[in-house]
Amino acid sequence: MSEPNVKEAGVSKATRATAGASKQASVARFELAGGGSVHISESHDVPLVSITIAFRSGSASDPAGKEGASKLAFRMLRRGSRTHTANDIEDELDRLGAELSTDVSTSSSAIHGQVIERNLGAFVNLLATLIAEPAFPIDELERLRRETLAELIEARDSDRSLAQQAFRRAVFAGHPYARSTTGSSKTLANITEDDVRAAYKTHFVQGNVALGFSGDIETSRARDLAERLAGGLAKGARVPDTVGEPTRALAKGRRLVFVDKPERTQTQILIGGLGTAPHDPDHVPLSVANAVFGGSFTSRLMREVRSKRGWSYGAYARLSVDKQRQAFSMWTFPAATDAPACIALELELLETFVTKGVTAKELSFVQKFLSRSYAFDIDTASKRLHQALDVDVLGLAPDYYDGYLDHLAKVTVDQANAAVTARLSTEDLLVVVVGTASELEEKVRTSIPRLDEHKVVPFDREE
Amino acid sequence: MVHYLGQHPFGPSKVIRYGLSNGLTILLLLDKSAPVVSYFTWFKVGSRHEKPGKTGLAHLFEHLMFNETSSLKAGEFDKKLEESGAESNAATWFDWTYYHESVPKDRLALVIKLESDRMHNLVLRDAQVTSEKEVVANERRFRVDDDVEGAAGELLYKMAFTKHPYQWPTIGWMEDIQAFTPEDCEAFYKTYYAPNNAVVVVVGDFNEKKILQMMRDAYGDLPASIIPADDAYPEPPQTEPRTIEIKKPTATEKLLVGYHGPALGDADHAALTLLNEVLFGGRASRIYRSLVIEGEICTDLRAWASTFADGGLYEVYATARTGKTIADIEAVLYPEFARVREEVVTADELVRAKARLELGLLQSLETMGGKAEQIGFYETVLGDPSAAFQRLEVYRRMTAGDLRKAARRYLVENARTTIRVLPDGAATEPDKPEETDSDEEAAQ
Repeated sequence: MSEPNVKEAGVSKATRATAGASKQASVARFELAGGGSVHISESHDVPLVSITIAFRSGSASDPAGKEGASKLAFRMLRRGSRTHTANDIEDELDRLGAELSTDVSTSSSAIHGQVIERNLGAFVNLLATLIAEPAFPIDELERLRRETLAELIEARDSDRSLAQQAFRRAVFAGHPYARSTTGSSKTLANITEDDVRAAYKTHFVQGNVALGFSGDIETSRARDLAERLAGGLAKGARVPDTVGEPTRALAKGRRLVFVDKPERTQTQILIGGLGTAPHDPDHVPLSVANAVFGGSFTSRLMREVRSKRGWSYGAYARLSVDKQRQAFSMWTFPAATDAPACIALELELLETFVTKGVTAKELSFVQKFLSRSYAFDIDTASKRLHQALDVDVLGLAPDYYDGYLDHLAKVTVDQANAAVTARLSTEDLLVVVVGTASELEEKVRTSIPRLDEHKVVPFDREE
Repeated sequence: MVHYLGQHPFGPSKVIRYGLSNGLTILLLLDKSAPVVSYFTWFKVGSRHEKPGKTGLAHLFEHLMFNETSSLKAGEFDKKLEESGAESNAATWFDWTYYHESVPKDRLALVIKLESDRMHNLVLRDAQVTSEKEVVANERRFRVDDDVEGAAGELLYKMAFTKHPYQWPTIGWMEDIQAFTPEDCEAFYKTYYAPNNAVVVVVGDFNEKKILQMMRDAYGDLPASIIPADDAYPEPPQTEPRTIEIKKPTATEKLLVGYHGPALGDADHAALTLLNEVLFGGRASRIYRSLVIEGEICTDLRAWASTFADGGLYEVYATARTGKTIADIEAVLYPEFARVREEVVTADELVRAKARLELGLLQSLETMGGKAEQIGFYETVLGDPSAAFQRLEVYRRMTAGDLRKAARRYLVENARTTIRVLPDGAATEPDKPEETDSDEEAAQ
């Protein structure tokens, strides 16, 4: 749900897999001497070059009690190197017409850069220094720690974010996916300079990287620059993946987590449980069935909640995708007065979906939608590159994207419905509501039949 | 009849302008980088064209336009687009409304048919209007009523504008949304949804001759409308600062400041935009560095000059850190504004600001949809589809003196409106942070 790098199956066109039939520019792949790889997707339409340095590991490697260490290490890269102060780095990025950001999730991490083409050489020089020779100055680390703590408090203003956090913690309770990549005030306080350096040393080794270039760059030049960027890192093998498969045993029964926030005229509601894993044989059939249920503007969920009743501006069902099994969730945000009825309706729709499945007509429609819109999954060099990086970093099957159109076309009604029955549960189900408990919690509770557990959590405190 | 009306350079490409006899403007940019087409229909109508008591009507149309027409049942519009693999969206703002589809190139004919149909044949019955009013009311709840920044932003414009219609929000006041009738909608539709009030922008892989023929066939018979003359009162100069304090369930104090600024077409707009980059554009900018990085006073700090047809606001939004106050922010912000009124910015600051704006323009052109949006926006607001590139040239010519002149003209206390947001006590005490966590993306 809320993890920045978690992909989505069957809903988001930006991240949807497809492609086999593509005759557009392909993504070139080369192996690097130290065990890493480089992927290159050329497009000379706009004088911009994007660079991604992806890592085949993420916050799962943070020691218990030190959640947030990897994210701090990545964010520290632009706060001092052997030759640059934090201010030098920021000034230089702006001078070059460049941007830089980092992204850490449970299973993978990345540095994303973009620069005006004429300044590519200077940008790569800077980037090479930042990733190979970080200084981790202690004053900057303390500053970043304070900044992160302030951001955590600020994030409470977002009701959607509060719902996502509560959902993640409860649906994956006891599993690494429940851990925060940012950390908490307690874990951030525990992280020392040595911990940050250790996190850097874990991720930043040659065999753990997959580099990507897209945009206005020739393949031969990209290969040279990739060797330069990766060559500055310490030698080392890919970081072993220790995250196991989440199981339903972690989340039995029907549970309600009510996140209590005052003065809410509207609620944020997430309902769901475990969903799909990319290695499941029924991964594509389930994704296609989910698209019928809640993956488009004409899907069942949108039609019933928004179009017919006007209860929520949006109504979506989503299957997140990561290395291991991720979440299935329905997301709506009705007015507080409509929330109990909306939850009851969503539960009914889910029940019908799981017990009766999709029809041949619905399946045929959504197959047309997904196959024809494939053009927008690969219409830019950047999108093509990120598909290739996903396959590499998340260990997806080689044909996860390239064979998608074929897999999609072969899905039958029986396969789609068997996948729904096997993977989605109407009984092991989590309901998360952000709203004002004194006005709504009891009504929400009574709208959920066969509820096993319920609790109210203040929005500004951890459980 | 399709009339060729000239062409406009657009970076290394060109935008070709055509017109139909009924007043429809057509702008074409050929781009064969992918087998898709992006199709934007811009209407020169936004919330500024509404009347008090009927606010939010332009935005309600952004919803109603996806409903029934005389030739399509309710829901069929979206079904046909989805069946074709289309991406579609719409947006409304003070000066304009647009509708957008991106489709595989072999589906372009369908889009032309659907868009021309709903430009004239929309059915506005009570059931559709009632349902969409409810959806919009919910949209308002999450964008404004339950959102601290949304609520503060709405209040800022309400206070800063006393005459001009920018004073009411595009989404509309809740009581107005709930009171709309089908008759209100019908009158608005007949007035503003007409070919002579629209610009169609097509970017992508198409055959120019065929597309013009299809557009002539689809739109050629639609009648023009009599578009009312602009009725907006110019906003009188603000002669004294305005301030209001509100309380919200939030843990930290927030400050929203708005200075009356230039219209997008005003020569000063580029100077103020560059000055904004020097002061607030990224981590190396002057005030961001003072307030966020070195002073550790703010968590969030953003500023922008509104891009409106008439003079809008130059806005600053700042979120104080736990334990810091609005007074702490103001103690840095206003002296920095005074400084740029007195001293010129450095040559290096100017170079960095120009590079950042160039990067931003190039980023906006990475997709066909991005190009079509730039073309349509500048055509609708300024009447020039290639104005984005002309602005880039203007930025390049700007001097430090131009920026100081803009600061002296606009960053003046008497033209300032201030919204102070204070925690209402329901949230955690600012000096006692509770343990929490988040996976919200942190600013880098």
